[in-house]
Amino acid sequence: MTRAATVDPGVPLLAGRSRGWQRPSVAAIAKVLWVSWAYIFLLAPMAVVIGSSFDGATVYSGVVFPPQDLTLQWYKQIPATHFRALGLSLMLALSVAFGACLLGIPAALGMVRGKLPGKSLFLAFFRAPMQIPAVVTGVAFLRLYYVVGDATGLFLNATFIGLYLGHLFVATPYVIGTVVSVLQRFNYRLEEAALSMGASPWRTFRRVTLPTIMPGVHAGALYAFMVSFSDVPIAMFLTAPGFVTYPVELFFGIETDFNPSVLASASLVILFSLIALLLVQRVIGLDTVVHSRR
Amino acid sequence: MNIRWDYLLIPSFVVSFVLLAASQLTFLRGSLSSDLGLGMLSPTIGAGNYEVLFTDEFYLRSLWLTVKVSAIATLCTLLMSFPVAYVIARMRSRWAMVMLAGVVVSSFVTIVIKVYGLIVIFAADGGFNKLMMALGVLDQPYTIIGNVTGVVVGLMQFTMGFGVLLLYSVVRTIPTSLEEAATIHGASRPRVFWRVILPLSLPGVIVGSLMMFNMCMGAFTSASLLGGGRVFTLPVLIQRSVIVETKYGMGATFAAVLLVSVIVINLVSVFLVKRLRAARLVIA
Repeated sequence: MTRAATVDPGVPLLAGRSRGWQRPSVAAIAKVLWVSWAYIFLLAPMAVVIGSSFDGATVYSGVVFPPQDLTLQWYKQIPATHFRALGLSLMLALSVAFGACLLGIPAALGMVRGKLPGKSLFLAFFRAPMQIPAVVTGVAFLRLYYVVGDATGLFLNATFIGLYLGHLFVATPYVIGTVVSVLQRFNYRLEEAALSMGASPWRTFRRVTLPTIMPGVHAGALYAFMVSFSDVPIAMFLTAPGFVTYPVELFFGIETDFNPSVLASASLVILFSLIALLLVQRVIGLDTVVHSRR
Repeated sequence: MNIRWDYLLIPSFVVSFVLLAASQLTFLRGSLSSDLGLGMLSPTIGAGNYEVLFTDEFYLRSLWLTVKVSAIATLCTLLMSFPVAYVIARMRSRWAMVMLAGVVVSSFVTIVIKVYGLIVIFAADGGFNKLMMALGVLDQPYTIIGNVTGVVVGLMQFTMGFGVLLLYSVVRTIPTSLEEAATIHGASRPRVFWRVILPLSLPGVIVGSLMMFNMCMGAFTSASLLGGGRVFTLPVLIQRSVIVETKYGMGATFAAVLLVSVIVINLVSVFLVKRLRAARLVIA
């Protein structure tokens, strides 16, 4: 058994520990190939979008990858509607992430620490929006806004509040999930220590409890942001011409006329996502964020 | 601490309950009204829409297609993401961070952008087809646009980022020491996988798969844009009937059937898994 010598079952090829060069086994090569293929599959469409956004095609539908002659013409032609839609998407996603934390953190605290019977039932209830297919949520909220509008004269469809409630509905379970899983690993002695040293309950909460659950909050907020920022099926029903989120604007862009300036603005969004990610990594660390998810 | 934490639950519960109950009840009520045209619904209640749906073979086939496409996409995504998640979770170098970042960026970017990428890749004179034809692998351009394969690939693009992140946190909960113990006692790598890694990650994998399946069941972007108007899954029909034809009643009926199928499939698989695990406990 030569394998027994390698105690760590990681990837010998990628991990690159210098214990002298060993002949990589067939399984290790297969693993590297499979993982590389998965990454090509995952990232190729985005790479192609960025690459072809520089293509100097003269006909609209003639954009190719790899780009033929490089040009920035499509970047100059990004329509103003895209920027407006992007602004709406950003505003929406940020406020949804904030609102989901506002709803999710107390719910998680109440569920894990409260003494109510049937906690698993509450958890199942709060997870329900994740089980409902996104299109159904979209249709359901549209229908609700019509009924409410007919009854009160207050129409919420194609308003910020209407869109916001729809996204809040699907995003909150993510925050609840991550905060609950952090709270379940919580060490109560920390709080007891603070209290016995004379800190008030509120001070204990602010200075001990809240900082400890912060990784869960960050993770949940990031997921809430992602859900809202990339959503099509819900926003499709709750927006209207002139009031659209960025993904919906792109969706109609494909359906009506394929203009390469869409590729240019999409590339900008990919770039924006990368920068946002770098910020997340700098400020809170990607690993804590991803790990506290359940 | 003598704090009644229970009270904290109240505001969130009320908001979530109102949103859930109000939206679901109104749309279920709407599914019982027939369309009068121009977006108007009849005030009377009847199961007419459901009768139309369950007697028309086209709609039933659409429901089956939705389930089939979602299941295939989930399975393929699972097969692709588990090794990736495992490798990242067990990596100790800085590369793990870079690989993780690639996955997160992919789930940040909306599926519509990725669909644009797929369309450019599989264009008849695109790089992929030119390369394949130059190599002699293909003698005519191959495309996934406008057929079921395209829809599956689109759904995989949609769920894979989430899938890897989910499975990554599942693998992270399995202590490396267990694998080491099995290896030291002479278990081969495949054996360690089948007897240690798989059983321990199975609950998480099942939860994750169901989540990906639910995501697929609720998505119409891939089917609508990559199906080329030829692949009619239930979400596509819902979008068409509500947005294009303004038939809210029929759309709500499709949505209700979709919702019930998702719930039933979730419950059945959870039940089956419990039975399966109980059976295994008896054997082993």
